[in-house]
Amino acid sequence: MAFILTSPPAPTSPPAELTRAADDAVTSSPRRAASRARSRALASLPAHVLLAILALVSVYPIYWMFVTAFRPTAEALSTNPLPGPVSLENFLQVWQQIPIGSMLASTLGMALVLAGAQLLVAVLASYGFARWSFRGKKALYLLFVGSWLVPFQVTMIPNYLLVSQLGLLNTVAGVVLPQLCSAFAVMMLRQHLESFPRELLDAAQMDGRSSWLTLWQVVVPNLRPALAALAIMLFISAWNEYLWPSLIMQKSTALIQVGIRAFLGAEGNNWGAIMAASSIACLPIFLIYIFLQRYVVDAFVRSGLK
Amino acid sequence: MLIHRALALTAAAAAAALTLSACGGASTGSAASAVIPELAPDQKVDITFESYNLAQAGVWSDTINGLVSEFEKAHPNITVHAQPPQGGGAVGSNTISSVQTQLLAGHAPDVAQLTFDGLDFAATQLGAQPISDLVGKTAIDDALGGAHPFNPNAKHLADWNGKTYGIPYVFSTPVLFYNATMLAQAGVPADADLSTWDKVEAAAKAVTAKTGKPSLDISCTSIGGNWCMQGLFKSDGAQVLSDDRKTIEFGSDAAVDTVTKLSQLTKDGVLRNADPNAQYEGLPKGDTAFILTTSALQGSFMQAAAKGGWQLKAAAMPAFGSKPAVPTNSGSALFVLSQDPAKQRAGWELIKWMTSDHAYEQISTKIGYLPLRTSLTQPGGSLYDWAQKNPLIAPNLSQLDRLQPWVSYPGNSYVQVDDILGKAVEAVVYYGKDPKATMQDAQKRAQDLIK
Repeated sequence: MAFILTSPPAPTSPPAELTRAADDAVTSSPRRAASRARSRALASLPAHVLLAILALVSVYPIYWMFVTAFRPTAEALSTNPLPGPVSLENFLQVWQQIPIGSMLASTLGMALVLAGAQLLVAVLASYGFARWSFRGKKALYLLFVGSWLVPFQVTMIPNYLLVSQLGLLNTVAGVVLPQLCSAFAVMMLRQHLESFPRELLDAAQMDGRSSWLTLWQVVVPNLRPALAALAIMLFISAWNEYLWPSLIMQKSTALIQVGIRAFLGAEGNNWGAIMAASSIACLPIFLIYIFLQRYVVDAFVRSGLK
Repeated sequence: MLIHRALALTAAAAAAALTLSACGGASTGSAASAVIPELAPDQKVDITFESYNLAQAGVWSDTINGLVSEFEKAHPNITVHAQPPQGGGAVGSNTISSVQTQLLAGHAPDVAQLTFDGLDFAATQLGAQPISDLVGKTAIDDALGGAHPFNPNAKHLADWNGKTYGIPYVFSTPVLFYNATMLAQAGVPADADLSTWDKVEAAAKAVTAKTGKPSLDISCTSIGGNWCMQGLFKSDGAQVLSDDRKTIEFGSDAAVDTVTKLSQLTKDGVLRNADPNAQYEGLPKGDTAFILTTSALQGSFMQAAAKGGWQLKAAAMPAFGSKPAVPTNSGSALFVLSQDPAKQRAGWELIKWMTSDHAYEQISTKIGYLPLRTSLTQPGGSLYDWAQKNPLIAPNLSQLDRLQPWVSYPGNSYVQVDDILGKAVEAVVYYGKDPKATMQDAQKRAQDLIK
């Protein structure tokens, strides 16, 4: 065993910003520091104003939806930006004309099953891709990615025929079945698993854990934040599904997103009821956002979506 | 060898032609005897009925479901599974594609409410059954006759090549609705003569001068409004398709003249450039004073007028100068799609029910659609009181006497042809494109699609 003595590393100079800050602290007067902070705040003001305007523009349609929903039906076309007069007439109409309660329950069930199934498939597939090297791995992965790039409209009719032949038309299972695998989810999780410490996997193997147990006892617990973020994203995406359910669920009393359509008509749209039904349909997503905000933001940041 | 083969083919073709002509002759000659059999009283039949009215919550689906339920009580051996069309399009916009998709999957509805723009496609491609062959012409005449017969101009709107493929069900005509209160404020009498486009323009100019913004909407000149654009063309001596249905004609001089006249309304500052939804909301909100649109919107306009405290009035579709105005219809007919004789018979029974006096009483009073059995609105008819309470339907009813059908384009690309026309009309009327070049280019592209 040999020990090599080396000289300690030469002290590196601190970053320029730190030096400047230290100089400021020592040499500048408090007034000067305050003035500098003020000028920095002023410099960033236009960016903040722009962001505030963009935030308002983004939030305004949602505000308008609630304002219109809570107006009397006859006032639905009012252009007054201020809320009121408050009325529950539109909600009552929605309650009486479509089975909103069962629609919410069916949609919740569909979104939970779909998000859960997609997550499970994504965990298994990405684990396989990340852990093992096998012949055709790259080609298989490209096929997964390729399926993400194929527009839904291309596979819509073949999937419809398949669901029809399975006798699953007008069932929530028919909506869920062709979407059990999400290539996007597989891609996202594979990125996480690629950066998963190899040592942990090797250690688990040395401990005598099988690949299956390693996945559930080592990998999944360590990926909990990423899985939670992805699950939320998949749930939101499933909840907002419209075109495919509208094709499969011909009975418009099944899912909320299809049910809202019942207030759109050739003889004019019932905007008050549409806004009330849409407000109700948005509530689960809002609740998720309020209580799981950190994970939601994380999901969008990790996926590279803004 | 080749000669032998050619001779064999010729002989086979001749034999096939003879067989086909014999079949044709037989079916023509024995139409009455080849009708589908009546159902036995204990013969249970299940049929599917697809109606776009069921896609809309409220009075639309309630009324149709109510009629279906009454039908089932009157015909205990027939069970009707009523369903809306599938897909996410606007109500009434995807009736054919819905049936097409279900047909692919092998379970098309047995009876379907299809819009008239797809009549050619329904009869030639979709497998709609000629009802006149199924039940005989006499049965159709009997069903559409009675004490309150169908309006003669409405009766044959879904006929194709001499056969009845569909029974007209619900439709509307283009009506000029206007805010008489706004007109009065602009110094135009509430009962002003609005029978020609020149008079409409003069009145609209007065309102525009008062409000400072365009006061007229024409939903026929927007994409999706081609059903009544066809009426505007016909009113100016043009047509979209030749009589032999082989040539697109919306690039003709007369058609170019029509869109040029309408574009002048935009140039004069009276015609507003707005999408169809904004147009439908313009009159109720007081943004505009006039709209030429489907009479089916009357109910929502009446509600808005009552709420806003203004007077709603209606006039027939305006004419171009001294030429007579020719209204066309929107709407739909009921078609039998089933191949099974028992279901066909059950479907015919349902169609008769849905187009009966009783059905129109329900449909007109609850939904507000035009009763095609127009004499129901005459003294002694069950809708007389309703018609008296709703004087706004008078122009709509009177237009039935001058009605011409909404022409469906031939071939599989009828939707694309309609789209090409809609975009060309918008480009000229609202965006000032050269009328002749635009319409002729559209005509050429559309012609390529129907070859």
